[in-house]
Amino acid sequence: MVGLVAVISTIHGHIIPPENIHPVAEVYQRTNFVLNLNPVGWDQVQSDVDALTDYWNAIAAESAAAFHKQVNEIICAATAEPNEKKGVEPLPRSAAAEQVFQHLTRAVSDLCLYHIESASRMIDDREAALKELREAEGIWNAFSLTIKSTDPEAHNRLGRGWLKMANALGSTGLLGVGALPPDRDAFQQEAGIIIDYIETNFREDFSPMRHGSLAPWPSKSPTFNTHAKLPHKLPPGHNINKQIPRPRQILGMAARGVDESETPLIALGDMAFDSAYIYGEPMRSLEMSCNTCHNKSITNPNFTIPGLSSRPGGMDVSSNFFAPHSNNGIFDPLDIPDLRGIRFTAPYGRNGRFGSLREFVRNVIVNEFNGDEPDPMLLDGIIAYMNEFEFLSNPYLRKDGTLNENASKSARRGEQIFNTQFTQMGNMSCATCHIPSANFIDHKRHDIGTVNGYEEYSMDRTMDTPTLLSSKFTPPYFHDGSQPTLGAVVRWFDNYYQLGLEERQLEDLTAYVETVGDGIESYEDTVYYLDAEMEEFSFFLSAYEFLAGKNKPKLMGTTFETIALEIRNHKWELQDLSVMPVMDKMAEIMDAAYTASQAGDQAEIRQKVAEYRAMYNQNLDVLK
Amino acid sequence: MLKNNTIHLWTRGLLLVVVSVLTCVKGQAEPLKVAFVSYANPQQVAKDSDALAQFLETKLGMPVKGFVTLDYGSSIEAMRGDQADIAFVGPLAFMRAHEQIGAMPLLLEVYSSGTPTYRSCIWVRKDSGFKELSDLKGKIIAFADQVDMSGHLLPRDLFRQEGFLSGNWVEKEFFDEVYFAGGDEQAIHGMLNGFVDAAGVSEYASLLLRPEERDAVKVLAYTRPSPSHLIMARKGVPFETKDRLKKVLLALDPSNPEDKSILDKLYGVQGFAEARLSDFEGVAKVAAGFGLVKNPDLFASGQFSE
Repeated sequence: MVGLVAVISTIHGHIIPPENIHPVAEVYQRTNFVLNLNPVGWDQVQSDVDALTDYWNAIAAESAAAFHKQVNEIICAATAEPNEKKGVEPLPRSAAAEQVFQHLTRAVSDLCLYHIESASRMIDDREAALKELREAEGIWNAFSLTIKSTDPEAHNRLGRGWLKMANALGSTGLLGVGALPPDRDAFQQEAGIIIDYIETNFREDFSPMRHGSLAPWPSKSPTFNTHAKLPHKLPPGHNINKQIPRPRQILGMAARGVDESETPLIALGDMAFDSAYIYGEPMRSLEMSCNTCHNKSITNPNFTIPGLSSRPGGMDVSSNFFAPHSNNGIFDPLDIPDLRGIRFTAPYGRNGRFGSLREFVRNVIVNEFNGDEPDPMLLDGIIAYMNEFEFLSNPYLRKDGTLNENASKSARRGEQIFNTQFTQMGNMSCATCHIPSANFIDHKRHDIGTVNGYEEYSMDRTMDTPTLLSSKFTPPYFHDGSQPTLGAVVRWFDNYYQLGLEERQLEDLTAYVETVGDGIESYEDTVYYLDAEMEEFSFFLSAYEFLAGKNKPKLMGTTFETIALEIRNHKWELQDLSVMPVMDKMAEIMDAAYTASQAGDQAEIRQKVAEYRAMYNQNLDVLK
Repeated sequence: MLKNNTIHLWTRGLLLVVVSVLTCVKGQAEPLKVAFVSYANPQQVAKDSDALAQFLETKLGMPVKGFVTLDYGSSIEAMRGDQADIAFVGPLAFMRAHEQIGAMPLLLEVYSSGTPTYRSCIWVRKDSGFKELSDLKGKIIAFADQVDMSGHLLPRDLFRQEGFLSGNWVEKEFFDEVYFAGGDEQAIHGMLNGFVDAAGVSEYASLLLRPEERDAVKVLAYTRPSPSHLIMARKGVPFETKDRLKKVLLALDPSNPEDKSILDKLYGVQGFAEARLSDFEGVAKVAAGFGLVKNPDLFASGQFSE
């Protein structure tokens, strides 16, 4: 088990490590994803083309340079500023994307073939040949997902071919025993089949567009399924893991000691917040939920999807990826908002376009993430749950929002600056908008200079005033996440409005804002959360009697399938892996409850819910 | 006056320390040379080996030099040429080293199971319909490597015990085809993807799969346990040195964060357990059955290593 000991470790907080993928395959798969976006993230494409060129350059500098030049010309043509006078018309997005993808596919094919041929040449040096073969196979994986979905027969045959080639390299043995000579003929036979497949499908006349999307379709293969669809997959470089340690979530009713089993509407909302099934595709397949971006209601600073995020902690929610019908054709990623104290912070949306939270949440489900029109009770549940999100307690603030004696001297000096009216800001102070006695917001929209309008005198630059409470733990800042720290925000205001603050004043003002944004126990003090997660799943199930009474089989079904999926996703966090059969069984019970809910078998549902609860109670001590 | 005395005393103290260090270094002209094997990431192992050498140097009170090799064979060759005193190896490599150069086992690694052993498995896809080993007749199996205890010998021995395979290599004797995929990862991925019907590799190989993939595979059968990977010592390393090294590593407690950071660098193990030659008695017989150990009786002595 060479190398296995190095990976023996338990998983914390459902952290999924990135796939182990060859850099060329990584570049290709990411570019494949980004070129299918509208608009295309050309900066990302350029960066990946550069990386591929670097890899190729070490092998064949001339070919690499030619590839780079050709692709650069296409990207330049696609990103050219239109100029009627000079007759400059940018190359249409789809044509440019297709051309770039053709070049990339040929490049990847060339590199794969190069390494197969190198392995063949080095066959008498087993270790060197195996290294070349691993390179080739790693690069081949750039195509393998598409081939697996659209030409499964070839995928199997060729996958076995890679194993046969490794086998044909023989073995060097160990200290004089167990050596096997290479089998040159067997190697060549399998290599020939793979080379032929690549040359037939992905070389000169490769056609990348099918079903309205770009992919390495192996359309010349006789076993290619013309009707096959590709599975949804996020590109390499994405990170949707939640933060560790986990932020501390304060639910108002729990903080007041209310028995959670008596709050079924909130339980329904909590379930929905964690459920991929309230959304449409691709959210369901990707198993993403509200909780992915707003982990326990708090901004997930890790969240990144290349082509959709300009930086971690944000995403363009109006692209063609998650909900093609709502695409606005503009790359306008937004910082993921923190939801603590959300009931106090209307209006909603970074530009404050929604007066009510209910309206905002419905739009997220239906238009941002492609879900069906939600059941009104589901929306009621989500709002009831979100209304329980509390700000962190802040030991430095009086009830009127002024600093108390616990605050530092620097913060107190900063408070004075915060309340000072500046002529450069139209005789307004920071506190004019971030009103201390009103949760540090004014519920209004302002143009503070952070938005580029569609033209010079356009009136589309106002953004909603955010609260400063609990903000210390939610970087980055501004609607687009362009400021990494609160200190950077302070300096941005000083610079933009030419306030002329001295260094110490800037530090004092930063200390003040950080103090206002501070809070007690912002993170949990453990990296083991499974017991808390299992308790939460039981809370989801506490809505069952309520939903049964209201005759809501669909919402019951959503609850059951959400719990089943959550258990399966979290079971690898078990500290004692021998307990896994218990979690598998609990997931199976929820599967059965889901099936029964679809069949309308109330007695079976009741039995399965009772079974689940009994099993949970019996295993409380080990489910951690 | 006080200040002068203080400086004087401090200077004398420094001199004593310098003398002590020089004496120590003089007494230990040769550092303890430790060969760390790199499984996948030589740069990271090299970085870790520096930190580990420093840790051991402090704990043992003697100079320690760590270096990285790319495979067990290189570690053993280094030991044969007196270039390595201590090495991290797998059980098969150790048995070869013991037979050839008299290397002795010091400590076995303890994994997440809490024991200094591990098993191999016959892995199949859950949707394959296979229920027992006999279902694999006429099918394709992948092993990791020809000379791999958990990735070939133990799982193959399972079929031999059942009477499906003989000791000798016979083409299509039970399986339609057998591939040596070059590693556990390639073998188990080949099975997951359906390129082969089964994979005979370590029980920990499923950890090389992504969590969602692990639910698609199952164990058809477990092999007998094998002693885990181990730390072995070159013949001739003084008993005191080996004893001190054992005590230092046996004392590592994974619940202590500082110790945990050391264990993480030691290939992420949970701890160590004392090794005996007799721990290898069973697997030596298995390896001998395939001609990879010449004298399995060497491992039946039942003695501690010195």
